[in-house]
Amino acid sequence: MSHISLEAITKSYGPTRVLNQCTLEVARGDVMTLLGPSGCGKTTLLRTLAGFVRQEQGRVIVGGVEISHLPPNRRSVGYVFQNYALFPHLSVADNVAYGLKVRRRPAREISERVGKALELVALDGLGARYPAQLSGGQQQRVAIARVLVLEPEVLLLDEPFNALDAKLRLTMQVELRKLIDRVGITSIFVTHDQSEAMMLSDKVAVMRAGQIEQVAAPLDIYDRPVNDYVASFIGRANVLAVDVRGGVVVNAPRVATNRSDGEATLIVRPENLGFATADAVWQGKVLFASAQGPTIEYEVEAGLAQPLRLVVQRRAGENPLPTGSAAGVAIIDPDACIVTGARRDV
Amino acid sequence: MSERSAPGQIVLPPFVRQVLHGGGFWPALPAVVFLVVFLVLPMLTLLAFGFVTIDRGRVVGETFTLQYLQSALGDNLIWRLAWRSFYVAVISTVLALILAYPVAYLFSQTSGLWRTLILIAVISPLLTSALVRAYAWLVILGGRRGLLNQTLLQLGLIEQPLRLLNTDWAVIIGMTQIHLPFMILPLLAVLAGRDRRLEEAARNLGAGQVRTFFTVVVPMSVPAIFAGLALVFAVSYTNFIVPQLLGGGSYSTLAVQVYEQTVVVLDWTRGAVLATILLSSCFVFVYLIVAGGSRLSRWAEPRS
Repeated sequence: MSHISLEAITKSYGPTRVLNQCTLEVARGDVMTLLGPSGCGKTTLLRTLAGFVRQEQGRVIVGGVEISHLPPNRRSVGYVFQNYALFPHLSVADNVAYGLKVRRRPAREISERVGKALELVALDGLGARYPAQLSGGQQQRVAIARVLVLEPEVLLLDEPFNALDAKLRLTMQVELRKLIDRVGITSIFVTHDQSEAMMLSDKVAVMRAGQIEQVAAPLDIYDRPVNDYVASFIGRANVLAVDVRGGVVVNAPRVATNRSDGEATLIVRPENLGFATADAVWQGKVLFASAQGPTIEYEVEAGLAQPLRLVVQRRAGENPLPTGSAAGVAIIDPDACIVTGARRDV
Repeated sequence: MSERSAPGQIVLPPFVRQVLHGGGFWPALPAVVFLVVFLVLPMLTLLAFGFVTIDRGRVVGETFTLQYLQSALGDNLIWRLAWRSFYVAVISTVLALILAYPVAYLFSQTSGLWRTLILIAVISPLLTSALVRAYAWLVILGGRRGLLNQTLLQLGLIEQPLRLLNTDWAVIIGMTQIHLPFMILPLLAVLAGRDRRLEEAARNLGAGQVRTFFTVVVPMSVPAIFAGLALVFAVSYTNFIVPQLLGGGSYSTLAVQVYEQTVVVLDWTRGAVLATILLSSCFVFVYLIVAGGSRLSRWAEPRS
């Protein structure tokens, strides 16, 4: 049974429907990432789970207990805010002790548990400081310790790395993932950064316009996106309008599909395309090339709606093809292509 | 840039350059000149009158004397009046805080039309003079026929009319109402602009609404609370209109004495001495309030 289930959550702000019958299940101990562009409702979904937002329809269930109508302070759900929301007037230790004091734990137990929590996030010795005296990374760790000291059932993190600079972000991502594994807590991250999602999570849930498009392990989402939206959101993809006839994609005969005849969408990753002379599917001209070191990225104008994107391995000493040169493009592995329904206009 | 600049250009010594640069002082110059000429100098002149002998509007003798100040400080009556000024100001300041906080909090929780209405309700009393408002309280509190007594008598809540006018209470009630906006406005600004995520964080950590209010909202507004306290205390402590009107003829405070000695008795020396005592003690109290406030909000100071 799943640890967290959000069942058909609907929430509107005025005329805008932010969450539309949104359903999500998270297994116990899993680290899930809600990934989507800004405004897709991912933060609202997280806030619904924490009780800051009251849904109009739908149920929130954690550990088999429905908590839909509990106020935030009666949910065992830890929330790490985007800018950490540390109490500036309390010292680090008092910030961490806040929830324990609310629960009226004896003073000895409080200081013991605060000490352990600070040790867990490697901040022991900084308990007397005020939040303003800490670096961004340290503040984030205080925010996490403040929540974990209460041993909540679920940990929610709203874009926790946004406030950190790029270099620190990478270290903190690794550290946080290790910490979560150590504690073994069911967690949900919200992010719009796909590399963060790939790195941190066991499962990625891609959101669009208040609904979940696909939930799968990061590599599964990359390899088998359910539609062109997910394909182009995770990694890059060539999304081509094609026709299917007799189990074969007409425009690219080597790609087989079990879809019935009619219009369809072909999704091909840039690294699954290559230059070929013999069995080229498309003929075109090189529009643009940029060498990245180990790879070369090409854009090839082949008379399609958008130029084709290719990523080609580069050998030492090799220069990219000059712009304007004629090139045939072929699919390397037809089995790795995805054929989905005709493109939805968004 | 090099000190030895192009030929023909005048090189100013560092000190002069520093003065001319002024560190951002120059834009404030007109206001400073205005205040010095029309506030500081007259005030100093007035205060100086307390240290010379004045006879029929003329300064007599040329010696500086502390005798008037000493005699005032040795006067028991002055101490009693100062004490009354003090406790009336303290009670009315505390009452103002208690009454102002809910209004400011309500403002921060509302939006749109309600917000505008609250703001208008807070500011509009400032458009009428304090004198008019004090007279209005005279009508409400005044004697047997006053609005308050009439209402209470008719409702049968009291049998004898309350004796409010010409007591400390009348002065405190009037002062509190008249000075309420000075308390509400700083609170309003801080509470409306506060970071709501801190309250969400407190709720998430298990605190109920009441606890969140007292452990997060109130501490975060400490700077505004103390700004309001200092402001309202200063105007209450030195107010002479309200005690005079609502306290009646035999009611007096230090500020009332300053007015009476200077305008009624025409004893400028004594008026000036009392004004010196009033202003300097007011300064000390306000300083203590501000110091207390910054002690309680040390976390807000920038630190490395």
